[in-house]
Amino acid sequence: MELNVVGKNIIRVDAYSKVTGRALYPQDIYLEDMVYGKTLRSTKPHAKIKVDTTEAEKIEGVLKVFTYKDIPNENKHGVVLKDHEVFASEKVIRIGEPIAFIVGETQEACEEGYEKIIVDYEELDAVFDPVEAMKEDSPKVHGDSNIILYYKLRHGDIEEGKKKCKYIVENTYKSPMVEHAFLQPEAGLGYLEEDGTVVVAVATQYPHYDREEIAINLGLPEEKVKVINTNIGGAFGAREDISIQIHLALAAKVLKRPVKVIFSREESFLAHSKRHPMIMKYKTGADENGFLQYMEAEIVGDSGAHASWAINVLRKSGVHATGPYVIPNVKVDSYAVYTNNPFTGAMRGFGATQVSIAYEQQMDELAEKLGISPIEIRMKNIFRKGSMTATGQILTDSVPLDKCIEEVNRDFQFLEESEEGAI
Amino acid sequence: MKKIGRGIGVSFYGTGYGNGFPDISRAIIRLLPEGRIGIYCGVTEVGQGAKTAMIQIGAEVLDLEVKYIDLIHENTSLMPDSGTAAATRQTYNTGNAIKVACENMKKELFEKAKVELNLNSTSGLILEKGEVILKFFPERRISYKKLSEIYYNDDIIEAKGEFTAQTTEMDIETGQGAPYWPYTFNACAVEVEVNAETGVVNILRSTFAQDAGRAVNPRILEGQMDGGFAMGLGYTLFEDLNLDKGIMKNNRFSKYLIPTAMDMVDINNIIVEDPEPTAPYGAKGIGEPVMIPIAPAILNAIYDAVGIRIKELPVTPEKLIRHLREGEEKIG
Repeated sequence: MELNVVGKNIIRVDAYSKVTGRALYPQDIYLEDMVYGKTLRSTKPHAKIKVDTTEAEKIEGVLKVFTYKDIPNENKHGVVLKDHEVFASEKVIRIGEPIAFIVGETQEACEEGYEKIIVDYEELDAVFDPVEAMKEDSPKVHGDSNIILYYKLRHGDIEEGKKKCKYIVENTYKSPMVEHAFLQPEAGLGYLEEDGTVVVAVATQYPHYDREEIAINLGLPEEKVKVINTNIGGAFGAREDISIQIHLALAAKVLKRPVKVIFSREESFLAHSKRHPMIMKYKTGADENGFLQYMEAEIVGDSGAHASWAINVLRKSGVHATGPYVIPNVKVDSYAVYTNNPFTGAMRGFGATQVSIAYEQQMDELAEKLGISPIEIRMKNIFRKGSMTATGQILTDSVPLDKCIEEVNRDFQFLEESEEGAI
Repeated sequence: MKKIGRGIGVSFYGTGYGNGFPDISRAIIRLLPEGRIGIYCGVTEVGQGAKTAMIQIGAEVLDLEVKYIDLIHENTSLMPDSGTAAATRQTYNTGNAIKVACENMKKELFEKAKVELNLNSTSGLILEKGEVILKFFPERRISYKKLSEIYYNDDIIEAKGEFTAQTTEMDIETGQGAPYWPYTFNACAVEVEVNAETGVVNILRSTFAQDAGRAVNPRILEGQMDGGFAMGLGYTLFEDLNLDKGIMKNNRFSKYLIPTAMDMVDINNIIVEDPEPTAPYGAKGIGEPVMIPIAPAILNAIYDAVGIRIKELPVTPEKLIRHLREGEEKIG
């Protein structure tokens, strides 16, 4: 197929505005009569709360302090499970959870009001270790169990598989909770159009989802809500959950003034999701010819205080646990668990990034035991066109992994080194 | 004492929401004044290059230069829902929706040209550089601009397109099913230098091969590969929130270290093409996959250098030195 445009190095259509500083990010937008907002967040990981905003509202320049009592409709949101409160009502379940939103004529007035809000915390037992959190007698973050997802993968016959193995390597790997570290911290504006339509200008990964949540929380039809997606300074998954959208829409609707909020870097760290830390217990076995016959994995992912995408992330870990290898006998148990840690959600790779740390080190360890090179063990076992994955799926087309490995090896010559080593 | 080691990491990644969840992208195409083409679509540009790639796909179908296309993608009141900029799904899903919509638009343009050119059928019509032309009698031709002067306001020429990805829900007891499609593959090799006295790991070079199905824009794709490598490098060697009882102690960039240009090397990026039949022009997504093989490649290279297998990230100098000393004690 001869193509004229696809496959060509067209200069990014948004490059000029971005390199010249003309691209508008939410921080850059100023509207007439605009006021500012600031979020008060929990400082305790698990506590019952009582909030007193009376003194704060007396501060000159403070227009209103919003709390859960001001939400016209549902006080909850969430990409899969509605387990975030717009503002914490009875208790907080993580550090950084929004409790109140102060709106003032100036940022200084907001700061002053912020200092005057009294939050009375009655601390509760908290749980920070996902393995502890799985136990029956652990403190519960939501409901009766902290286990959000249990994904089970069963393929072939584990016992038969083990019997065929000459070597089995067994290891536990741990991956950390990390931050997306995008360039542009959260910021946005809420305002009303003349016909009463509530507009939120924000940098988001999914404007239609934001619109839906705002409409539900404010009890408005979706046509009366508009989300303007500005330029976005990186996302990597951290702009999938709601951050400021509902607060801005609510404040603009009630106060009938444009409201702006800008997070500092520290607040940005507190506000959005993180990457799931995982504990990955692996057993991988190969026969004397270097063919994989068996793999068993148990994966526990810490979802923190909210589910966000945990169900989908840990399911993705489970499906990708084998790596790109044909393994006839596989058992995977994958869990997503609530704790009182910062919440985790989508981040580049979405559960598939963690498991490669495990399955690829297992491969090298097996290669060493078998006395073959890292390339050889991979070429023997990789997915090719027609291969079956551990979920029973057939890879019918476009499986150029062999080509990828050959390209890399052309430069690095792993095979020759191993042959020399053997001499 | 500095030691050199080399390692490889390979990976696969399934595109889309997955597990049978309806994963739908939508687009509307309109003929705008001056014969410009408007693509109305809820595709989000997070820096990955979606805006350029989507316009390229539309330009390909309608045989236009990209400068004649406007992408309207910032206002929920103007554009249809095309799902999240996530799950590495925009090039594949939304690219497909735009391709379908543009193909429908092509039919609409042919129908209108048939009327304006006094033809009995649309047979033999082609699109070329902003004109509808009867291929075997090129005197019969009409430009998009001319059509936009005839058809406007309520009579505007428009077409819609939608794409729903094909996946199945997995069995609850066995996990069997077709949870994602398509899958993207890659392999990355790195050479590291480990300073056994300070515990510092430096990347010396890397060759990184990424399957793209087909690259819509090779240079932007390579930018993603560089970015994925940097993010993987930070994950492996530096990044740590230092979480203690729910508190993130490293909550700013003076404490939470991410790689800088000084930590990066000039990577030998190789794009591997093997078009995927269900994808727009064969193009698969690569946004997330480019991060996945990096950590294991570095970890395997560290092992090759010093014989220590690190099972817990990040590999900070302190941690590596501790492991090296423990290793010496065992041997000693």
